[in-house]
Amino acid sequence: MAYDPLLSRIDELSGAFTSGQIDRRRFLKGLVGLGLSLPAIGVIVAACSSASSTATPAAATMAPSMAATMAAGSPAASGFDLTSLIAAAKAEGDIYQTGIPPEWVNYQAIFDLWKSTYGIPIDGTATEGEYSSGQELDSIKNTGKPDVGDVGIAFAVQAKTQGLSAPYKNSHWADIPDTAKDADGYWCCNYWGAQAFAINTDAVKIPIKDWKDLLDPSLKNAVGIDGDPTKANDSFFAVWSAAIANGGGIDNIQPGIDFMNQLQQSGNLTAARASDTNIISGEVKVAIKWDYLGLAVRDKAAGAPNITVTIPSSGSLASPYADIVAAKAPHPNAAKLWQELIYSDAAQLLFLGGYAHPIRFDVLNAAGKISADLAAKLPSADLYKKVTLVTDINKITAAQATLGNGWKIVINS
Amino acid sequence: MRSSSSGTLAGASTAARRLGGRAALALLPFAVLITAFLLVPTLSLIWGSFHDSKTGAFTLTNYSYLQHPLDLVPFANSLELSLASTILGSVVGLLIAQAIVSSRRPLVQEIATTFSSVAANFAGVPLAFAFIATLGANGLLTRTLLNSGIDLYSGGFKLYSVLGLTIVYAYWEIPLMVLVMLPPLQAMKPSWREAAEILGASRWRYLRSVAIPILMTPFISSLLLLYANAFGAYATAYGLTTGFVALVPIEISNLINGDVSYDPGQADALAIGLAVIMAVCIGGRAILERRSTRWLAP
Repeated sequence: MAYDPLLSRIDELSGAFTSGQIDRRRFLKGLVGLGLSLPAIGVIVAACSSASSTATPAAATMAPSMAATMAAGSPAASGFDLTSLIAAAKAEGDIYQTGIPPEWVNYQAIFDLWKSTYGIPIDGTATEGEYSSGQELDSIKNTGKPDVGDVGIAFAVQAKTQGLSAPYKNSHWADIPDTAKDADGYWCCNYWGAQAFAINTDAVKIPIKDWKDLLDPSLKNAVGIDGDPTKANDSFFAVWSAAIANGGGIDNIQPGIDFMNQLQQSGNLTAARASDTNIISGEVKVAIKWDYLGLAVRDKAAGAPNITVTIPSSGSLASPYADIVAAKAPHPNAAKLWQELIYSDAAQLLFLGGYAHPIRFDVLNAAGKISADLAAKLPSADLYKKVTLVTDINKITAAQATLGNGWKIVINS
Repeated sequence: MRSSSSGTLAGASTAARRLGGRAALALLPFAVLITAFLLVPTLSLIWGSFHDSKTGAFTLTNYSYLQHPLDLVPFANSLELSLASTILGSVVGLLIAQAIVSSRRPLVQEIATTFSSVAANFAGVPLAFAFIATLGANGLLTRTLLNSGIDLYSGGFKLYSVLGLTIVYAYWEIPLMVLVMLPPLQAMKPSWREAAEILGASRWRYLRSVAIPILMTPFISSLLLLYANAFGAYATAYGLTTGFVALVPIEISNLINGDVSYDPGQADALAIGLAVIMAVCIGGRAILERRSTRWLAP
């Protein structure tokens, strides 16, 4: 499999910059000259800047993006030997991924990073990129081909109980909150999305900071959720998140249902779905939906209308995706190396550039590795401190059961 | 009387015997079709509706919705929506169809027929979006009216309601009515009216004694078609309201698709409820049709 010439050119430039051969200005000009989008440039520069400032000379002589990976925050676990893992993975010569679409959360850039860093071809993404989490597990079970998969949290837990995943603790394990990883290493969350408000600031003239602001009388027929919460995960989490500000929370969704009922009775909740078209056309003026979807529609609208995305100040809930290593991975070392890559600073920043919230966000933020340009595009890092990650499958099932009965009252009364 | 009816029955069976296996063979494809797509599904619905989805044991709980006022709301909404859109669609559609027939201009007739067949099939999410862009809270028409001082939404109108859905459904119900009523209207011969006039009938008398009895059967059949069409419609309503207006088809889909409320047995029971309503409508049509044919009888 040949390298993308664009990528090798990026790598060349990054190399020249990190090793001090060219200055930042020429580096930027070079990147722009390659026709890259601004967010992509921001991320590359951020990754390389941290590398050039902290990398040891020895690291800088390695493949440049690898230097970024190596220089990343936490030190490798004791006894961890990246060099021999790379060698073993290269010897396997291939990695097969299931359900990792290139257009999803910036995965294309991460594939590029993988190929330019390790030169190992990636298979499976073209045919299995569109798989749902359930289909990914079927593929692991029935074909035995996949090495790694990116699945919803419920399916990560299921994979462990069905014996479909293998334990592996990446070298950034300590950075990852306990709720976001399996204690035995059978799965680990790599990024998440949190419920946010996407506000059409051209139409909404009052400041909207928190859930209670949605009850303002000026917001008649303005507030929308993304689908039927008894069917769609996005709106289900919107209802559940509303519980936090109203005396409930992860253990009790009922106050969230009551809040939505209040919103419905006040005439503020619209039945129009908070889809991209309805947000851009102004039919839904305040959309409650995943932050990454809200940020993407903001970019898509490009000022027509102006959209601001914020996390409610009382907090909201987040749903993570997890990465698993297949139990019978044909390329076990490549699978482990993939884990090393996606939890590295460079890949985690790429997730953030695709508006997925990387699991090591706090570490990257504390170390000042998130460029000002990128940070300016995101809701403030402080607001994310109030976000609760939902990884307990039993709690999800319990909340769904309560919603099934409660939602009828919201729509039928 | 009794003997004559049994006589015809006997005659029919003799005829069937005389035709032999070849006629029965010709009926086979139809019989297979009816069995596969009507009988088997109906029987499986009935069976499923009396059995628990999880344990498979016999149960009546799937029909518990009949006792809960909240669970009957979808039926009330569906009935209201189907009735309203059928009335709107049939009245307006009939008038338009008559106007097209009366125009006697082939070009007008052709354009109207073509448009109707396109519009009658324009449904689902694209239609929902077209209406959101027109009559939504931020729609073009809503905004235009607002600029001229009429605030639809503060006046209580909402596109995402039974009233709004009625308007949206009328968008395809009207052209559908035009399409199905054009042939019978075109079949009305001018000579019938002339004959009635020569015999001294008033315009009203002609309508009452000639036109209405003849058109009654196709009209009632069209009503039924419109009604069934509205009752079973799913995609448009869902695309427009994301389930906020509870309708029976949406409720059924929640029960067979939803992650949250998966219960196919209950879905079967709701479907039986739908089937009963449709059976009542078809039965009503049969009674009305018998009356209209009695008018036609000498």
